[in-house]
Amino acid sequence: MQQQATLQIARPKSALLAIAMPVVTAVLLGAVIVYGVGFSHIAAAHNAAHDTRHSNVFPCH
Amino acid sequence: MLFRRIVLCALLVGALAGLLVSAVQHWQVIPIIAAAEVFEGSAEAPEAAEPAAAMAHDHDDAHGAAHVHEEAAWEPADGTERHVWTAIANVMTAIGFSLVLIAAITTWEHLRGRRVASARTGLVWGAAAWLCVFAAPSLGLPPEIPGTAAAALEARQTWWLIAVLCSATGLSVLAFVPGRLRWLGIALLALPYALGAPHIDGAFAAYSDEVARRMEVLTGQFAIATAISSAIEWLALGSLAGWAVARWVRPALATLGAAATARA
Repeated sequence: MQQQATLQIARPKSALLAIAMPVVTAVLLGAVIVYGVGFSHIAAAHNAAHDTRHSNVFPCH
Repeated sequence: MLFRRIVLCALLVGALAGLLVSAVQHWQVIPIIAAAEVFEGSAEAPEAAEPAAAMAHDHDDAHGAAHVHEEAAWEPADGTERHVWTAIANVMTAIGFSLVLIAAITTWEHLRGRRVASARTGLVWGAAAWLCVFAAPSLGLPPEIPGTAAAALEARQTWWLIAVLCSATGLSVLAFVPGRLRWLGIALLALPYALGAPHIDGAFAAYSDEVARRMEVLTGQFAIATAISSAIEWLALGSLAGWAVARWVRPALATLGAAATARA
């Protein structure tokens, strides 16, 4: 019943705006994590993730 | 609310896909890396291009004098410790990928305004992501085994980023932009290759002919192994992300719409 009610509500016109903040923040957080593991020049980070970098075809060495 | 759901889903999806791909790599990718590293030690000259890779301070003075290699930084010991770190790095990478993928599928479902996210449509997202993040950069910078000499690291990283961003934007334009404008997507897909990936000749010039030949064979096997393992990873990421959005993000989207309507 309750679900039926929520489904009938049309998405607001400013649809993209309504979710922009959480979605963009999530994408940026994801990019920072992938950068840290796969692209950071810190030697210890490189060594720990070495095999992951090669397997993902992240440029390495 | 929405952000928290996306992050929690990404943690779950990333952990599952990261552990799965670690298991797959353990029997097909890792042995090739190990074999290449045996040859890597036999190089006659220091590798041509290994700048910036290790800028660490040399804490290990006693051994530091023994060889010119700058890599005195910490590294995991071979065996279990290394495998555990690889699995951690795989899970972290998969969580990062999931955050982007779940955000994209969430946006897609929200803009369509109906239930489109599912494990099945997620597979299509995963396949598209594999094309953008693995296939597209690999066409310019083929998968490399350890010990391969290559162009400067920064140049390759920059090109990799350009290739991934152009492919993702190009594919999105082809898929979602209506009308004739969508053909711009083709131009975007081609752009990284028009720029050209940074290359040097003689990837195995530092080795004897015999070793160089075997490195080339390993490189071929490595390209196939990584293509398969990353395809498995991305298909798992895609279907799990689609399922997670349908299961946990969709309710948050619904309350978001209700709240916005209530305010209006």
